[in-house]
Order: sequence, then structure tokens, then C-alpha cells
Amino acid sequence: MRRRKLIVLPALVVLLFVAGCKKAPVQTTEVIAVAAAQLPSSPTDAAWDNVPEYLAKLIPQDLVEPRLAQASTPEVRVQAITNGTDVAFRLRWLDSEQNDTAKPGSFVDACAVQVPTKLMPNPPAPQMGEAGGGVQIVYWRADWQAWVNGREDNIKSIYPNAEVTHYPFQAQSLEKGSPEQKEMAKRYAPADAVGNRRQSPRQSPVESLLAEGPGTLASNPAVAVKGSGVRTQDGWAVMMVRPLPEGLAPKKRTSVAFAVWQGSNKEGGARKMRSGWAPLAVEEKKP
Amino acid sequence: MARVYNWQLGREMSYWYPESRPKKQFAAVFDTNKCIACQTCTLACKTTWTSGKGQEYMLFNNVETKPYGSYPLAYDVKLLNMIEAGKWSGKTYEGQTIFESAPAGERVMGWRPEQVDYSYPNTGEDDCSGQVDHGALMQLPHMNWFFYLARICNHCTYPACLASCPRGSIYKRPEDGIVLVDQGRCRGYQECVRGCPYKKVFFNPMTGTSEKCIACFPKIEQGLQPQCFVNCIGKIRMAGFLNTPDKARADNPLDYLVHIKKVALPLFPQYGLEPNVYYIPPVHVPASFNRQLFGPGADAAVETYKSARKDMDLAGLLCLFGCSESLMTRWKRTGDIVVGMDDSGTQLVRVPISEPVHVRTSFDPVQKLVRINCP
Repeated sequence: MRRRKLIVLPALVVLLFVAGCKKAPVQTTEVIAVAAAQLPSSPTDAAWDNVPEYLAKLIPQDLVEPRLAQASTPEVRVQAITNGTDVAFRLRWLDSEQNDTAKPGSFVDACAVQVPTKLMPNPPAPQMGEAGGGVQIVYWRADWQAWVNGREDNIKSIYPNAEVTHYPFQAQSLEKGSPEQKEMAKRYAPADAVGNRRQSPRQSPVESLLAEGPGTLASNPAVAVKGSGVRTQDGWAVMMVRPLPEGLAPKKRTSVAFAVWQGSNKEGGARKMRSGWAPLAVEEKKP
Repeated sequence: MARVYNWQLGREMSYWYPESRPKKQFAAVFDTNKCIACQTCTLACKTTWTSGKGQEYMLFNNVETKPYGSYPLAYDVKLLNMIEAGKWSGKTYEGQTIFESAPAGERVMGWRPEQVDYSYPNTGEDDCSGQVDHGALMQLPHMNWFFYLARICNHCTYPACLASCPRGSIYKRPEDGIVLVDQGRCRGYQECVRGCPYKKVFFNPMTGTSEKCIACFPKIEQGLQPQCFVNCIGKIRMAGFLNTPDKARADNPLDYLVHIKKVALPLFPQYGLEPNVYYIPPVHVPASFNRQLFGPGADAAVETYKSARKDMDLAGLLCLFGCSESLMTRWKRTGDIVVGMDDSGTQLVRVPISEPVHVRTSFDPVQKLVRINCP
């Protein structure tokens, strides 16, 4: 009797543990975009639950100066779903500290998905491509997500204790919201004046980019992207949607690479963790 | 890295890009002995360029009280420690510049200020003695000397901000050597903030790009001096264009002060940037401190400045400071009169070197009364 008890108890513990855990996604050796009628609505959508997962190992950016001196985020878990037109990627990684404010000396959490501009047997350098071998990038940032989520467009949203007595664009002679007032505000926001607003209210937390090697990153309005990110219990979950890479179809392959920036480690720009190329495949549409 | 010549170091050095000097180089001379730290320059700049959201903490121009003042905090001593304050052999620098001492994986030896380093501009800087009984702000053993150091971007010949930017968002204008951040290209990596040893590039948290002093280039293009120059109460500044030593012209005010009289010196030349704002060193501070800030020419510069009263040309040129809003790129002295001119030789301003002096006796024989002359 005592012997039976000894066997039953561990079995019960195992059963309870398994029942308490969500089923872990199947691990794959390539990123497989699972076919679905529609794309998930968010990074927490239940549609992601049964999608196979690719574990992308990350290494410090090591090609050009400035490099990342010490490795930080070791890996990112990647899933993909396609509706035949667009592909949604979900990236999840561990990050104990939420960094969603860029200010002097402070950096933000961010991630990116990169694919070659066209299908080719030998993809270009995974470090943002090379001359003649361009890459397209979708880039998400935690501070942009905070602006999209409703962060207020004033200095107090960044420095809660800040007191500013007067800005020139608040002069009484300037009617609020008038073209004159906006013009005055632009005079003291040079990046705004040339259409390169990188902070403050935004419609989207992601950006579409292209590059032909380090230092060549440029906006890519030809590829429409969208996305959203949420803070999880132990890190970030970010969904990024872009059109299926041109020519990618079932039984064909292209490449995909990932990057993660950890704000608490003062990572930004070239100081990042990046992966090598992984194969990207598309699942055949289920009948 | 390329090999370039830095005349301030008296030798070649390594730099991220090959030597490419502009057609003309914007430059300036500041006379530290005349600065009273009224901060009018700071406000002139602030109201002109940095009054927007996210620019609150930015000081493209600041005035700090040396030896203890600094903005951002300890910007100078931190880097001096990092490059281990290299040695000079005569006029040749034998230590390592911030480019030559860059660690593996970095473009320059640098550091990035934290938010707190920008939080206390000028706080406690002027407490120079131990006589502050209550509410003393600093416990440091302040010495009984200090001077005011006005600072703007040095529009360096070899800018560290430009070398630091991994995407080439910073450029040096070929027409006048002014260093600018391309606001359409900057992505706010803050590498330039880290790289600039003078900490004159600032990250704007509301636009997400970095910004810096632009030498009021719209004014320079019209032949005018920048805002901080023309608003200077103490008339300590003169802007213009500087040639390399081998092409120095005696009729160019800046060439005369920097290359011919050698009375104006670069700030921290040992960093290796060939900065283009030159300082007439303060005459009353320890020579070793002057040498650390302004290099090996500091002692001679102080002596030259002290004897300016016997040197009519030098005295005359110093009188031109702050006398015109226009850029005076030529000058000449005739007797007791000094004239500032533009490139074509057209007179812009005419200044007497010595003002007429009237000595009034204490007894007025006409009114038959005694006057008390106030000092």
C-alpha cells in the first residue's frame, strides 16, 4: 500500500503541472508562416497559441563601429502567420526592465524584422544587407508604442516634475492651432520642420525601412507596415505586419533576420543584438 | 582610420575620415579676461534657437566658472582622466587623442552624460572661498581664483561628433566649415553626444534627434556675426575665418591673434579635434591650469596679452571686439585708429585705441566749489 502511494503521488504532481501549463508551441528549425484566413489582431491574440515557434539566437552587432561590447538579450522567440497577402510576425523576448522613454542618456526597448528585398539563393549580409543586396526592415519601438497608447505631447510626459513658464509658440498673439502657431512651434523643432519627427504623437509604433549595408538605413514608404507591442510579465511581445516578401510562396524560401535593442543596456542604432539569417517558409493554404 | 595633420598638435594623427579642409573655416576668439559671466550670450542663443519643447535643458552656448564649473557636469575632467591627460614635448603632443585611444569597437574615446549631469548648470560654481557660513553649497576646497569660460560648439576641423555618427548624419560645410546635424537624417542614436568631448550636441527627447550649435549660419551667410557674439556685454568675442598656419595673413584678425601673436589658443587641443574657438587665457590663474586647458602655448599667450598695452597692433585689434555686428575679415591700424573691414576692404567700423581722458580737478575755479569725484 505504501509503495503504491509513493508511485501515485509523483504522478499526480506531474499531471497537475502539465495541466497548469499552457501547451508550449512546437519548435521549428525555420520560420514557418502558418496559413490563416485572417491575421491576428494583436500580439496577445489567441491565434498565436498553436503557431510553431522559431528560436532565433542573438549575437552582438559585430561588423561596424560602434559595436555592442557585451551581449545582452540572448534569444528571441519568433512566430509567423500569413493570410496569403500579408505576413504577421510575433517576437517575444525576456527583458526585466521596461524602457519606453528616449531622453538624454536613456534608450528604449526595440526590435526589428529584416528580409532581403528580393528572393535570392544567397541572401546579402545579415548585418543590414550590402550594396546591391538590399534588405527591408520593420522596426518597432517601445516609446513609439507609448505615444500610440496615449502618452501626452508635453515635456511632463517625459519629466513629470518639469516646469516650463513659456514657449514662444504659446505667445498670446498666436491663436491656438493656427498655421502661425504651428509655424512658430516648428521653428524650435528642426526635425519636425523637415518631416523627421522621431518622437511625440505618432499613428504607428512601427516604421518601414530599407538598407543596403550599415549606415544606409532609409524610410521605405513603398512597403506598408503596421504593428503593436505589449509588455508581458517578463518582457515584450511585439507583432509586426508587412506584405509577404515578393515572390514568396509555398515550397519557396527566403530569409529572415531579427534584432533586439535593450534600452536598459543603453542599446540604440548599431549597438544591438542581432541574429543571422533564418529560412522563412510559407505554409500551404489549408483546403 | 586615415592619417591627417593636426597643426595644433604639431603632428599627424589618426581620424575616421581623410583630411578635407573647408574652403573657409569659421572660427572665433574669446577673451576670457573680459568675460563677466552675465550669461547674455547664453540667453541670446536660448531665445534664438532653443526655446522649443525638448530643448529646455539645451545650452548651445554656456558660461561656466572654472575650475569647478562645467556643463554638463564634469564634462572636462571625466575625459581628461580617460585619456590620462597626455604629455607635450615642446609644441608637439606626445599623448593620445580621443581618436587614437578609442577602445576596440568604438569610433572615439567618449562617454555619454546622464540626465543628472545636465541638472545643475552653474550651481555652486561661484562659491570661491570658505567664508560661506550657512548654506554653503559645496564642500570642496575652492581656491581663491576663478575665471569664466564661455563655450559654444568649436566647429572642429576633425569633429568627434561627425566621426561618431554611424550613419553620416553630421556634416561639415565645405564653404565655411560649420558643423551641422542633418535633421532629416538623424535617428537619435546619441552617438554624437557620447563622442563630442565638449558635450555640445544635445539629444532632443521631444523630436528624437540630436541638435547642436549652428554658428548662426543664416547670419554668417549674410556677413554677420552670430547672436552670442553681438549680444556680448563684455565684448569678449570676435568671429571670422581662420587659415591654417602656413597660409596665415596678418590682415586677417583671427590669423593675427591665433597664428601671428599666438595669444589665442584652442580649448583642450590634446583631444585632437583641432577646435576652432580660440581663447585668450586668463592672466591670473595658475599656469599649470592654463596649460591643461589651452596647451603648451598658454604661458607665452598670457605674457603677450599682459604686454598688449605696449603693442599698439595687438591693443588695437582687441579694441575691435564687439564693435560691429558684421564679420570683420580684414583689419588695419593707422596711428591710434583701428579699422575693421570686410573681404573687399570696405570699412565696417572705425575705433580709437585710446579714448580721450579728461582729468577734473577737485576744485572748480569757475563755480568756486569743491567737487567730490566718485570713483
